Amino acid sequence: MAEKLLEVRNLTTGFLTEKGFVKATDRISINIEKGKTLCLVGESGSGKSVTSLSIMRLIDYAGGVILEGNINFKGQDLAAKKQEELKEIRGNQISMIFQDPMSALNPVFTVGEQIAESLRLHQNKNKDEAWKEAVELLRMVGIPSPEIRAKQYPNQLSGGMCQRVVIAIALAAKPELLIADEPTTALDVTVQAQILELLQDLKEKLGTSILLITHDMGVAAEMADHIAVMYAGAIVEQGTVEEIFANPSHPYTVGLLQSIPGFEGERGGELYTIKGTIPGLGNLPQGCRFNPRCPHVMDKCRQVEPGDIQIGAEHKTKCWLYEDQAKVAAAGKGEHIHG
Amino acid sequence: MSDLNTATAPNVQNTDPVVTGNAPLPPTGKPPGPWKIVWQKFSRNPFAMTGLVVLLIFIFVAVFAKFIAPFDPAKIDLMTANLKPGVDGHWLGTDELGRDIFSRLVHSSQVSLLIGFSVAIIAVFLGSILGAISGYFGGWIDTVLMRLIDVMISLPSLFINILVMAIFGTKLLYLILILALTSWTGVARLVRGQFLQLREMQYVEAARATGVSHSGIIFRHLLRNASFPIIVNATLMVGGAILSESGLSYLGLGIQMPATSWGLMLSNSQEFMLTNPMQAVYPGLCILIVVLAVNFIGDGIRDALDPRQKNTRRRLAKWRKNFSKSGI
Amino acid sequence: MTEYLIRRLLQSILVIFLVSIAAFGLMHAAPGGPTQMMISPGLSPETAAVQKHNLGLDKPVPTQYVIWLKNMLKGDMGNTFKNNTPVGDLIWPAVKNTLALMSFSWVISLLIAIPWGIYNSTREYGISDQSANFITYLGFAMPAFWFGIILQEFFSIKMDWLPLSDMYSMEKHGDLGNLFMHLILPSTVLILVNLAGYVKYSRSSMLEVLEQDYIRTARAKGVPERKVIFRHALRNALIPIITVIGMDLASLVAGATLTEKVFNWPGMGRLFVDMALAREYTVLMAITMITAVAVVLGNLIADILYKLVDPRVQLGRKGGKA
Repeated sequence: MAEKLLEVRNLTTGFLTEKGFVKATDRISINIEKGKTLCLVGESGSGKSVTSLSIMRLIDYAGGVILEGNINFKGQDLAAKKQEELKEIRGNQISMIFQDPMSALNPVFTVGEQIAESLRLHQNKNKDEAWKEAVELLRMVGIPSPEIRAKQYPNQLSGGMCQRVVIAIALAAKPELLIADEPTTALDVTVQAQILELLQDLKEKLGTSILLITHDMGVAAEMADHIAVMYAGAIVEQGTVEEIFANPSHPYTVGLLQSIPGFEGERGGELYTIKGTIPGLGNLPQGCRFNPRCPHVMDKCRQVEPGDIQIGAEHKTKCWLYEDQAKVAAAGKGEHIHG
Repeated sequence: MSDLNTATAPNVQNTDPVVTGNAPLPPTGKPPGPWKIVWQKFSRNPFAMTGLVVLLIFIFVAVFAKFIAPFDPAKIDLMTANLKPGVDGHWLGTDELGRDIFSRLVHSSQVSLLIGFSVAIIAVFLGSILGAISGYFGGWIDTVLMRLIDVMISLPSLFINILVMAIFGTKLLYLILILALTSWTGVARLVRGQFLQLREMQYVEAARATGVSHSGIIFRHLLRNASFPIIVNATLMVGGAILSESGLSYLGLGIQMPATSWGLMLSNSQEFMLTNPMQAVYPGLCILIVVLAVNFIGDGIRDALDPRQKNTRRRLAKWRKNFSKSGI
Repeated sequence: MTEYLIRRLLQSILVIFLVSIAAFGLMHAAPGGPTQMMISPGLSPETAAVQKHNLGLDKPVPTQYVIWLKNMLKGDMGNTFKNNTPVGDLIWPAVKNTLALMSFSWVISLLIAIPWGIYNSTREYGISDQSANFITYLGFAMPAFWFGIILQEFFSIKMDWLPLSDMYSMEKHGDLGNLFMHLILPSTVLILVNLAGYVKYSRSSMLEVLEQDYIRTARAKGVPERKVIFRHALRNALIPIITVIGMDLASLVAGATLTEKVFNWPGMGRLFVDMALAREYTVLMAITMITAVAVVLGNLIADILYKLVDPRVQLGRKGGKA
C-alpha cells in the first residue's frame, strides 16, 4: 500500500433540525493515498458533500457539527483543531472546488484578484508577483488570453471558465489534496469532459491527491484509483476501482452500476433504476439502511446493521450476503472485521 | 442546463440532505395541512402567543368598554380636574377637564382596534383586487397600476394622510379610508407577483386544456401561495394603522373631541407635562403594547412559515459549543 | 449605462409629473379649495367675480394647472393666502433647518447601525444581537412622537438637563453649541427609529451574503475569518444597504413631521402640518412637489450607486455565456 495522506476514521457529522440531531454521516472511514484519486460515489442526499465539508471543517459554517471521529492529515487531527489553526491548511495543503462554479466566485472581485489572494495568503507573494502568477495559473488551467480574463468579473465568464478559475484558485498554493465536490454537475456535457481531463492532467503534473465526489459511476470509472460508495450517510462498499467494477458486492453498488446506460446490466434498452428513494436521514430504517430497497433483503437485514466485511485485498462491503465469505477471509488472513 | 440556471443557487450545499429539508413524512396517516403546521409552530413561539393573548385582552376590553370603564369618558367636570390617581375611584386620576383617565384609555382601545383592523381589511381587499387585475390582464393596465404605486410610494404616507385629512376634514370614515388607501400597495404587489408566477406555470395551461375552471385554479393557487404572506402583511398593517392614527390624532388631524383615542389623549398631555406628567405615559404605553402584540403575532406567523427555522438556528448557536469535538 | 440613465430620468420625470397632477387635482377637489380660500369673505358676488378673474381662478382647472406648473418650473411657488408672503420665504429656511436635524441624526444612525448590524450577523442571537432585536421591536411599535414627549418630560422638565423644544434658545440664534443642545433630544428619537430599520437590514443583508457559495470558497481558500467578513462579505452586503440608504435620502429634505412637531423644530415637517391646518394650498402644493422631487431623486441616486458598486449590474448581462 502506498503512503496515506488522509485517513478519516469513524467520522460522524450531525445537524440540528426540528427533530433533534440528525447524523448526516455515520462513522465514515476512508483513506486517500499520495498521488491517488478516491471517488466518493452516491445519490444526492447520501452525505457526500457533508463528508467533504467536514474534512475541510467548513461544515462548522454550514450549521453542522462533527460529533466524533478523526480526520488525520499528515499526522494532525483536523477534527480537533480550532478554526484559526486551520487557515494554514485550508487552501494551502488541502483545497476544494465546488459544484456550482458560477456562485462559487465572489461577484465583486475580478477573477485575477481572487486567484492572487490565495497566492498572497499562502506564498507571501507581493501584489505584482501574485498577479503575474495568477495569470500564469489561468493559462495553466486552459483559459485563453488569460491577461484579459484576469481583469474580468465572474459574471463575464462562462460556467466552464468559472470552474477553471475555481480550479486555479484551488491549485494556487500547490495543495497536496484537492477535494472536488461534483465539479462537473453544473456544467454542460461537453465542458464536463474537459474539466475532468484538466483535473487528471494536473494530478499527474503536480502529484496532487484528489477526493472526487460524484454521483456518476462513469466519472468514477474514468478518474478513480479507489472508490467508496456512500448510501444514506454511510460507506456501504469501498475498494480499488478494479475490485469495485469487477466484483461489485453491495446490492446498492450493483444497482448503481446497472443504472449506467450501456452497462452490462441493461436489459432490452430499458434503463435499470433502483426502486424507492433514499430515506431521509432523520428516519433511517432499522437494520441495514438499504434494506427497504434491496432486492436480496433477508430477515437479518431488517434487524441488525451490518459492519464492514472484508472481501478482497482492499475491498470492504457492509452487507450480510457476504457474512460467510468474511469468516473465511478472517480465518485465512487474520484480518479484522471492522464494526 | 446552462450557466444561468445555476448561477443563483443560494444554498450552502445543494446535495445536502438536511439543508434541502426533505423532511420525511410520517409513514402513516394524512399529512397535517398547512394551517395546522403553521399553528403548531406558532403556538410554540412564546412571543407570538403572548402577543395573541394581549391582543385578545385588548379586544375584550374594547368590546366591553361600556361595562369596564367606571366613568363616562367624555364627561367634563372641572370640579374634579387633575385628581391624583386613586382619588374618588379615579384609578389613574383625571385630566385637566376632570375626565377619568382610565375610562378614556378603555374607550380609546375601541378606536385604535377599529381603525387597525378595518384599515387592514380594506387594504387587503383593495390590494388583492388591484394586484389581481394588474397581474391577470398585464399590458397597459399593469403598467398604469404599477405607475400609480410608484406615485403613491414616492410620497411618505403620513404626508398624504395629513394632506387629505386637512383638505377633506377629520371624519373617522375618511381617516380609515385614507389609511387604507396608503397601505394597499404591499398586498397588491404580492398578489400581482403570484399572478405572474401563475402565468409562467405550465400546469395552468394543462388545466385549462382539460377544462378545469379558470377562476378555480387562480383561487386555489392564490389561497395556497399568497394567503400567509398576505396575513403577515395585514397583521403588520394593523400595527401601522394604529400608529398612524395616533400620530394624526396627536396633530389634531385625526379623532376629534368628544370621541377619544390614545393619540388624542397624547396631544393634550404635552400641555400638562408640568402638572401631570403621567398623563402622557399611559396612552403611549397602550399604543406600544398593542402594536407590539400585533407585530409579535405577525412575526410569529412569518417565522412559522419560514423553512429556515429561526429557533433551530438559535438553539444550534448554543448547542454547538457543547457538541462539537473541537469546540470551535 | 447612459441609455439606462436616460430611461430612468424620463421615468422619474413622469412620476413627478403624475404627482403634480395628483396634488393639484386633490387640492382643487377639496371642499373649500383654493377658490374659496383666496376670495376674501363677505364680498358681494360681483366683486368676488372680479377678484376671481384677477387671480385667474375663473379659468378652467386644466389651464390653471398649466399656469401653476409653469410658475413652479420658473421657481415661483406663489404666495400664501393669509399674509401674501412668497412661499419660498417660508420653505427654504424650513428646508435648511430640517436638513440640519435630519442629516445629524441620519449620519449618527448609519455610523452606529451598519457596524452593529455586521457585528450581529457574526454573532447571531448573542447579547448584542438580542438588544438590537429589542430596539428594533421598540422602534417599530412605539409611537416615535410619544417617545419624544417622554424624553422631554424626563430630560427637560424633571432633570432640566436639555432644552425642551425649538432650535435655539432665545437670543442665542446661530450659536452652534446651543443648536447642538437642542439637537440631542429630537435626534435621539430619530436615531432610535432609524436604528430599528438599519440594524435589522444590515444584519440580514450580511447574513444572506454569509450563506453564499463564494464565502465558502473564500474560507476554503484559507482566508482568515476577519477578512472573510470585512473583505469578501461586506462588499457584497453593502450593495443592498446602499440602495436602502439612498431611498431614505429624501427624508433629509421632507423631514420628520411628528418629531418636528413635538420639539417645535422649525423644519419642513412642522411647516407642512401648520400649513395643512391653515389650508394654505400654495404652500402645501409646493412642499408636496419638493418632497416628490426629493424622493424620486433619492431613488435615482440609489439606483446609480447600486450600479456603480455592483459589477454584475454595471456590466450588464453580456458576459453570461462565452
